Amino acid sequence: MIKPLQAVRAGWAFALLAALFMVAFGAAVVLLGLDQQRVIDATSRLQEQTVPEIIRFQRLARNLEQLRQEGERIFAVSSHASRQQSMFVVTLIASHPSILEHPGAARLARETEQFLGEVVRQSMADERRPASRYDEWQRLAARLGVQVDDVSVQGINLANSDLEVAKSAMKLARSKLMMALLLVGVFLLGFMILVRRHLIQPLQQINLALSTLSADRPAPEFKPSTMLEIQAVEESIREHHALLIQNDETRQVLENLANKDGLTGLMNRRHFMQSAEVELQRAQRYRRPVTVAMADLDLFKKLNDTYGHAAGDAVLRAFAGLVQDTLRQSDLVCRYGGEEFAFLFPEIGLAETQKLAERLRARCDAMEVPLPDGRAIKATVSIGLADASECPIEIALKHADEALYEAKRLGRNRVVQCAPPTPVVASEADTQTARLF
Amino acid sequence: MPASPGSGALAADPAALRVLVLDNAPPMSFRDRFGQLTGFSVEVARAVCSEMRVNCAFDVVTQSALLPAISQGKADIAAVGLLETPERRAKMLFAKPYYRSMSLWLARPGVVPGQAGVRVAAVVGSVQEAYGRKQGWEMNAVATHGELAEPLISGQAQAVLVPMISALNLQKVAAFRKLGLDATVIHAPELGGDASFAISPYRPELQKEINAALDRIKRNGTYDRINSRFLPFRVS
Repeated sequence: MIKPLQAVRAGWAFALLAALFMVAFGAAVVLLGLDQQRVIDATSRLQEQTVPEIIRFQRLARNLEQLRQEGERIFAVSSHASRQQSMFVVTLIASHPSILEHPGAARLARETEQFLGEVVRQSMADERRPASRYDEWQRLAARLGVQVDDVSVQGINLANSDLEVAKSAMKLARSKLMMALLLVGVFLLGFMILVRRHLIQPLQQINLALSTLSADRPAPEFKPSTMLEIQAVEESIREHHALLIQNDETRQVLENLANKDGLTGLMNRRHFMQSAEVELQRAQRYRRPVTVAMADLDLFKKLNDTYGHAAGDAVLRAFAGLVQDTLRQSDLVCRYGGEEFAFLFPEIGLAETQKLAERLRARCDAMEVPLPDGRAIKATVSIGLADASECPIEIALKHADEALYEAKRLGRNRVVQCAPPTPVVASEADTQTARLF
Repeated sequence: MPASPGSGALAADPAALRVLVLDNAPPMSFRDRFGQLTGFSVEVARAVCSEMRVNCAFDVVTQSALLPAISQGKADIAAVGLLETPERRAKMLFAKPYYRSMSLWLARPGVVPGQAGVRVAAVVGSVQEAYGRKQGWEMNAVATHGELAEPLISGQAQAVLVPMISALNLQKVAAFRKLGLDATVIHAPELGGDASFAISPYRPELQKEINAALDRIKRNGTYDRINSRFLPFRVS
């Protein structure tokens, strides 16, 4: 694994790879070009020099053959003039530069010229004489024939060296081409592996991280990347994750500010009414018992007037603490306004609520709230309860408030249940239930 | 033989090349029985013109007028087998050789070159004439190749120094053959070697084109067909 310290820009890395590839492939092309040049050189040499040379050998062969024909003619014809004419041609051919430049042919041609010259001279003296030398001529003619063959083959073989050069260059070019193709293949494979390892896989990880990014989950972990661009994106994702967490915390704070009472930390009235409404509907749908209560600190105005608002606030906070200690986790409570509190007790009927409320009242009665100046003050609470299993929250709270009023009237520091509702006919009950849905 | 290329009618064509030929030097250049110019040199020149894809206008000149005309640029090509000498090279350009020549001494047996009292016939302006004069021989210059036999038959000359191909032609003349002359090859550098067309010194660009055309006709068989048509053996 490459250390992140050695990170490079992907653009540069791939440009470098491409440059390396260009150099390697360029070199292969140049090498191939050299071989092609060798083939071109060999074939142009073949065309410009060797073929004319081959043709020269063919002409030499043709002249040797002509020599043989003129010799035959000297033996064949009876006219001395014709013999002389043929002999003249023999002289010309035997002395012609084309014959002289080939030592073997020149030797044989001179020999032929001398022999035929003798024959022609002898024929001038004795017309029958040439026939006696015909056997001798045939041997010479056979040698001429062989020389013609030799010269022809010698000429044609001149092409061999050029063809060999071209052939070997083509073979070399073929292996170089294979090497170049292999080189291209290896480079492409390497390129694909690098792209996959350093771009595609990190991008897939980034995609996965982004799709599951949440403030609830830990920040995504990435393997160290060698590409600066990938590193930058991964860093951005980590920053984005931190921002998500920060936003969530802010949201939490704002939600608390919106739903809680600033002084006591209890729910505020608006949030209580929303929550209570939901809870009440749930209880009524499943026909579960549910009760509400209204509480009010007794003689709170007087307490405020006597000890000041700070003391009043301390009492309110202490009472709120007491409420949270005393009530169940599932119970809802809010500061309803001033020194008034509202409650909702799910899953219990009036009898159990009575006990719970009584315990709260007793603990409040026993509570002493210390003041900064060393004094301690006491406070009592009056609580009114009402059943909420069959009426809207507003109505239930109104009933509880009526009970509270009754508790105050009866001398405070007590819990009073709302009088049971007047019996209603079944049809009316149905109508009321139906209205709740 | 078709009229193109190389008929005098094309002389007005400004793009045409003016080619100088002889008409009295068989088998190199002569008029056939229809009066058409032909011969080894003429046909090679025609083939070269055809390869170059140019029209050629053939102008007949005498041997003596040939070299001044080409060196003065009055014509573009001299389609005559000329041996390259330093004097000629100073006055004109030469194409690649189209055949290889040598010179023959034709005389009665026993008459050898340089022998006292021997008059040697040669064509005026030829390398053979120049060679003879340089050797201090008594020369009998004639105007054309066709007139070479005459001095020997009439006894004005005892030997003739001629290019190989003129000698071939002389052998065809019955009166000449009757003289019973022996042929001896004179191995002097200036008397043998490569024979080429001359090119006007004012048209140097033609040299390369003519050489390329000669190379092509030597490769594609045209040259060898012309050779077989006019000469008894390969002269290249």
